[in-house]
Amino acid sequence: MVQGLTYFLMIFFTLLAIYPLLWLIMSSFKTTTEFQINKLGLPRRWVLINYKDAWVRGKFPALIVNSIIYTSVTALATLTFSFMSGFAFSKIKNKATNTLYGSYVIGLLLTLQSIMVPLFLIVNWVGLYDTRLGVLVPYIGIAMPMGIYLGTEYIRSIPDALIESARIDGATYLGIFSRIIVPMAAPVGMTVAILTVNGTWNEFMLINILVSKDSLRSLPVGVQKFAGALTTDYGKQFAALVIGLIPMLVFYLSFRKEITKGVSAGAVKG
Amino acid sequence: MAKVQTLADNKREQQRAYWMLVLPGFLLYIFVMAFPTVFSIFLSLSDYNGGKIFGGNKINLVGLQWYKRMFADEYFYHSLKNNLLIVLVSVFGQIPLGFFLAYVLYRGLVRATDFFQTMIYLPTVISTVVVGILWKSFFSPYGTFPEIVRLFRAGYEYEINKHPMLPVLFVILWMYTGMYMIIFMANLQKIDNAVIEAARIDGASEWQTLRYVILPALSGVIVTTAILAISGSLKSFDLIFVMTAGGPANRTSVLSIYMFNKAFRGKPTYPLANAISTVMVLISFMLIALTKFVERKFGGRE
Repeated sequence: MVQGLTYFLMIFFTLLAIYPLLWLIMSSFKTTTEFQINKLGLPRRWVLINYKDAWVRGKFPALIVNSIIYTSVTALATLTFSFMSGFAFSKIKNKATNTLYGSYVIGLLLTLQSIMVPLFLIVNWVGLYDTRLGVLVPYIGIAMPMGIYLGTEYIRSIPDALIESARIDGATYLGIFSRIIVPMAAPVGMTVAILTVNGTWNEFMLINILVSKDSLRSLPVGVQKFAGALTTDYGKQFAALVIGLIPMLVFYLSFRKEITKGVSAGAVKG
Repeated sequence: MAKVQTLADNKREQQRAYWMLVLPGFLLYIFVMAFPTVFSIFLSLSDYNGGKIFGGNKINLVGLQWYKRMFADEYFYHSLKNNLLIVLVSVFGQIPLGFFLAYVLYRGLVRATDFFQTMIYLPTVISTVVVGILWKSFFSPYGTFPEIVRLFRAGYEYEINKHPMLPVLFVILWMYTGMYMIIFMANLQKIDNAVIEAARIDGASEWQTLRYVILPALSGVIVTTAILAISGSLKSFDLIFVMTAGGPANRTSVLSIYMFNKAFRGKPTYPLANAISTVMVLISFMLIALTKFVERKFGGRE
């Protein structure tokens, strides 16, 4: 009895979570005319025309390429900085560490909203408005506190003896970094990369104000400009939304274990 | 003597390595986060109204006048109220529901836990823009929501302006409950299973185990998630921007939308926008102080 109720509730909430998405995908295969008279049922005829139209008119190939560039560069740079700073903060003694590391930890508490207006003014002022670099630099900076926090805490757990004996054997710090730290910190690297990819790929607010050229837009901005403007042409709108949905869906289904692990590691401090 | 030399060299090399590792990232961090935060406070106290920051019109400090103006603005309280509504939805909706889901999955009360977890978390990873437009279409007067209600109540007329915040709150609940589930799952897994088994063997019911063994172990996490809910509410922007842009008549605005509108809609009022963001930073810092306090009181959350 209780077990039946538990199953019922779990299935109910699961349907609640995924039905809207299934409905979206289903509706994207209807023509707008059909959607208006048949909003809930299966398509009578499955058509691909919405996708063809949206793909071309929404300029999706360029948007996807842009998003891949922003996301991969941000993730790589964040990872590099996180390992470098994490190594220095946890394994090399320096009086500055408290202040420097502390300021990253404070950065964990800052929200993007709180720096959006000044960042917009500064990016304009240094002439990076409407450039790829003007998007990438803020993205990396914003991803860094979490990356450096997780990186430092993880690298701290690598035994000091490993590093000391490498030093005695004459290894340089660069050598230690590339031969000991990077391979040993790979698991946390995965977490940092996943959190950064997730955050950067979906980021909308900042890129929306830092870029106005079509050719520099990311996928979310493109979806918003294209699908958000179609108030009645549901077929095309839904197709555009599905295109916007697919990359993260594939990413999530491929890395769901790592994503949920990363989120619980990140959220507690975020 | 030679030994001292090498030690000094070693020390120097160590310091050089330290700064080479730390500095590039830190400079970027200052440019992107530290400086803007301080600069924001400066702007909120100034009469800057666009144009060049250096070499343009002189920028004067005008004291707290923009803060006064903000606190006298009805729009500010509208937005703050909606932020609070979002917190309430989190605290009374997402957190209990997320806990329930996590508990069922953790205790293995259903099969196929992996499937349930994957599906319930799914909405969280999707781009907010996609989610926002999807639900905006769904809740539009010509959309699917009125259609569904009409299945149960013939002739239903949907008045979107009656409670414009309700769809927004529903979507927030829909999208982020999975995140709380994951956080509770992670912390439930830290509880020693032997303790739970022992309680069960001693004849404690499922409910008693939950009440006397599991919940006390999670007290710290529950408070942390509540604080997470408040900071999440301060972060909410994309979804509302896409779904309603704060309308109709600012009735679905939150602080971040209020700030955005003061900076980027119509004639920019940068100092006011920065006063808003400074207040938002202050609120989140107060929250962190609260977290630290709670952590100490509840003995941490590990």
